[in-house]
Amino acid sequence: MPWKLLFRNLLGHKVRSLLTIGAVMVAVFLVCVLQAVTSGLSRTLDASAANRLLVQSAVSLFVDLPLGYQQKMASVPGVEAICKWQWFGGRYEQDKGGFFAQFGIDPETFATSYPEMTIADGSYEEFAATRTACIVGRQLADKYGWQVGDTVPMLGTIFTRIDGKPWDFTVKAIYESTSAAFDQQQMFFHYQYLRESLEQGGATGPDGVGVYMLKIEPGTDPLVVQRAVDGMFENGPQRVQTTTEAEFNRQFISMLGDVPQLLRLIGGAVLFAIFFAVLNTMLLTGRERTRDLGVMKALGFGNGVAAGLLIGESLLLCLTGAGLAIALGLLIEAPIAAVTASFIPGFALERDTLLLGAGIAAVVGLVSGVLPGVRAARMNTTQALQEIA
Amino acid sequence: MTAAIQLRSVTKTYSRGGEELRVLDELDLDMDDGTFYALMGPSGSGKTTLLNMVGGLDQADSGLVQVGDEDLAVMDGGELAQWRSEHVGFVFQGFNLLPVLSARENVELPLLLAPLSKRQRREQAERALTLVGLADRMNHKPRELSGGQEQRVAIARAIATDPQVILADEPTGDLDRDTADAVLELLQRLNRELNKTILMVTHDPQAASYADKTIHLDKGKLGRIEDNRTGAEG
Repeated sequence: MPWKLLFRNLLGHKVRSLLTIGAVMVAVFLVCVLQAVTSGLSRTLDASAANRLLVQSAVSLFVDLPLGYQQKMASVPGVEAICKWQWFGGRYEQDKGGFFAQFGIDPETFATSYPEMTIADGSYEEFAATRTACIVGRQLADKYGWQVGDTVPMLGTIFTRIDGKPWDFTVKAIYESTSAAFDQQQMFFHYQYLRESLEQGGATGPDGVGVYMLKIEPGTDPLVVQRAVDGMFENGPQRVQTTTEAEFNRQFISMLGDVPQLLRLIGGAVLFAIFFAVLNTMLLTGRERTRDLGVMKALGFGNGVAAGLLIGESLLLCLTGAGLAIALGLLIEAPIAAVTASFIPGFALERDTLLLGAGIAAVVGLVSGVLPGVRAARMNTTQALQEIA
Repeated sequence: MTAAIQLRSVTKTYSRGGEELRVLDELDLDMDDGTFYALMGPSGSGKTTLLNMVGGLDQADSGLVQVGDEDLAVMDGGELAQWRSEHVGFVFQGFNLLPVLSARENVELPLLLAPLSKRQRREQAERALTLVGLADRMNHKPRELSGGQEQRVAIARAIATDPQVILADEPTGDLDRDTADAVLELLQRLNRELNKTILMVTHDPQAASYADKTIHLDKGKLGRIEDNRTGAEG
């Protein structure tokens, strides 16, 4: 195989080659990122704890549950601890365009229910003891340069203060997480602080609790607890839906639609588009090379060489594009992970994902090269020479 | 002198638009080793078809096409390709150099099929280019060469593997008179100094005059053979 010719042919049409490589690069990059998102979501679900159940309104996640439910659920056999989760939905004063999740929780049961969370700086006990304190994830603290002792002013959008001022939370601890399901870009504060402000008339906002987390005792069948809790409130005043943490996360993700399926469809469409683009390039190339391939066959090169040159060129185009896509992916993996950490904590371009990208590029290259390659192999040498004479 | 090329009752028919076209019709022809032949005739007389058959690019429907000791009619496509790479050099009207390769790389191309080292290929290509007077243009791309220089590179490529037979299809068709004469002189020199058998298709009587003999074809049949050195006709 005249390898030099393979490379020279590729460089012979620099603009076309660069555009095709660029198209393959974008496609493979997109497919890798979509795959990483899908894997990330799946990892998040896989990392969900089996001993935690989440109780929400059967109507919608956006409908709060009565406060009195906590005491009733505590009486269900197998329930070890309960922790409230109340979505705050505030905006950080210094970065109103930025987004991160904030929740009001019960400090007494929160830490014991989420052992994957570890305190890296500060003290959880001080957080639990201070009414206006908060704990923040490591990534969030790094993003805004927060340190233990800093005051974080949060402007309420759901819960607003009567005086119009922001809510001030004092960072008492910075946590890290060992689980993909537990995001390090969140802020947690005392639910009670929120509650008291509402009760004392210092703030306005919805009553109740968004979600109750039930930690179940070891050896207890989650399904039994699930049924018991759902049955307990079957006749109201507010019907509930109890799910495992994995199911809850799955439902949360599916609020946007069937995300993994959507991503697969987009990836598939991208692949088809790029396949046709590369095939078009290679058919054009094959037609243009009729003269050169005819001469080569006249000189004694076999049909396999003629086909191999085109298939090789197609493969080279696609694999170069894939290589650049992988390099680009690795280069910006960390920034993407940081941006998507709030909703896809497990985002990572894994080796399998990169290999998948390279494999797809190889298949596209091979298939796109086969048609012009077969044509070149079957090409009648004398006709090819007559075309140019 | 031995017959380097023998054709016996060679017939070739093409089907065009549903019509059978007999391009070569029971053709008998002997060509001697080391002789420079011009092949002339009106369009459609079968010149290029004959050249392609002798070069193993096409096969006869019937009859014998023997070049040297080889009967080309019994070879399959792969064997013919192998045979071409070892025994025949081609020169085309449009030069047909690969534009992405330099002059030396173009000449090296057929040598890739020979069992030679990279260094041997390079030396052999350089020798061929020196022989055609292009020692100072080895690294130039075809687009950087004149038409005459391009054709000389094509001739260097044709002789790089040292084949006994050189087949040239209208090699001066795209060249001006002076450049054409220089190319024809080069072919004549290859014939006389290296004893190559050359078969050249041409429409140009002046080009044909450089050959030792001129074969005239008419409607797929042999017309006459002129000996350009003696003026005799056969």
